Amino acid sequence: MEIIIVLGVIALVVLFFVAQYNRLIRLNISVDEAWAQIEVQLKRRADLIPNLVETVKGYAAHEQSTFDAVVTARAKATTASTVADTAAADGMLTQALRGLLAVAEAYPDLKASANFISLQEELSTTENKVAFSRQFYNDNVRELNTAVKTVPTNFFAGVAKVSEREFYEVEDPQDRKAPNVKF
Amino acid sequence: MNFRTQQAANRRKTIGLLVGMGVLVWLVALAALTYFGQSTTAIVPLAVGIALVSVWGSYYGSDKLVLTMTGAKLIKESDNPKLFGLIQEITIASGLPMPKVAIVIDSAPNAFATGRNQDHALIAFTTGILDVMDRDELQGVIAHELAHVANRDTLVSAVAATTAGAIAILSDMLMRMMWFGGGRDRDRNSNGNPLLLVFSLLILILAPIAAVLLKSAISRKRESLADATAVAFTRNPAGLRSALEVLERDSTVVHQKSNSIAHIWIESPLDGKAVSKMFSTHPPIAERISVLKAMESLN
Repeated sequence: MEIIIVLGVIALVVLFFVAQYNRLIRLNISVDEAWAQIEVQLKRRADLIPNLVETVKGYAAHEQSTFDAVVTARAKATTASTVADTAAADGMLTQALRGLLAVAEAYPDLKASANFISLQEELSTTENKVAFSRQFYNDNVRELNTAVKTVPTNFFAGVAKVSEREFYEVEDPQDRKAPNVKF
Repeated sequence: MNFRTQQAANRRKTIGLLVGMGVLVWLVALAALTYFGQSTTAIVPLAVGIALVSVWGSYYGSDKLVLTMTGAKLIKESDNPKLFGLIQEITIASGLPMPKVAIVIDSAPNAFATGRNQDHALIAFTTGILDVMDRDELQGVIAHELAHVANRDTLVSAVAATTAGAIAILSDMLMRMMWFGGGRDRDRNSNGNPLLLVFSLLILILAPIAAVLLKSAISRKRESLADATAVAFTRNPAGLRSALEVLERDSTVVHQKSNSIAHIWIESPLDGKAVSKMFSTHPPIAERISVLKAMESLN
């Protein structure tokens, strides 16, 4: 009888350990997946840019400085690898693209062209996808970091080789403002 | 209140209401035992069984069933790339898989979501809603529909419908027994307190109405929860708020073949006619707008 109780208690303790360990691993994988989604969306945006620049050039050939800014920012964005670098390049590219679209405002023929309209729609949905993948990533990082720092999961962080992850922070005053969440 | 406290409050209230439903089934069973005696013991599992079979078939095949009931047609990405782009945005924000997308040819602006789980989700839009709403508004509507998917509201409403159905069947059976006098073995139960008998009868008569009220209340809470979850996805209460204002101004109503799925639309086609707020499946649209405005003011 006593052996059964002892074995039962041991089984419960083991189950508890396994659950904590798995939770950390799961959270860590979610962050990886969310990061992969950011990269997919950034790549999609980078792929859109040459076409967009060519289209605008067709109507507004002398706006060279705007084009240069976009091309430079795109080059930086495609080579960045760390979270902070990617985020910085992403912010720069968003700014540069905004400049490009502002230029387009001054050319009614360009604005009316079917090609530009469809590119603009594709760009705005891609911008939103970038923003949402960033938000999803940060939500996942927040959950992971909370788990790494709070009892009881924090005791297992070392064994699971899971540590705090870096937030994706874009320095852009015009960026869509996150709501002021009070916990 | 921000969207997190809103979500938590609506989840809590749903659980409370579902517990209420369970208590109601239990009360009806107890009342039947008191009034009719032991011979009714088998009736409770029978009624629950009938309700289970009838509701869960339609729950399991809800995505296909609703397509035929609403006349919605599935579309591909190439049919409406802009709409697909918008939906992909919210799947990224929510981490949900891409749902099936359908269009209902109807000029009244409306939308719905169904499907037994996130892998069988279906969201549909009327041609009317795609015509009148701008990008941010549609994004809010899509977020609301995918919020239903994320919150598993097809399951919640199936549970509510099963219990309400079981209570309706149960009280119907017992009423018949009463008229035909069968099964009532008062001889064995003759020492029953008359007050208790009257009380039991009252429960049997009122239970079906109470069940419908509870079911409507659950539906309303799930709508509010979906609004709050939508904001959690988009972090932009203004989009959904403005979409609801469009729906509020619009007086056209979708042409439905059946009223039985009225509760799945973002704006109920029936609530305008509802006797009172208590029977509505959706909270008043003005109330939903003011909750979203309160969230906006937190920004």
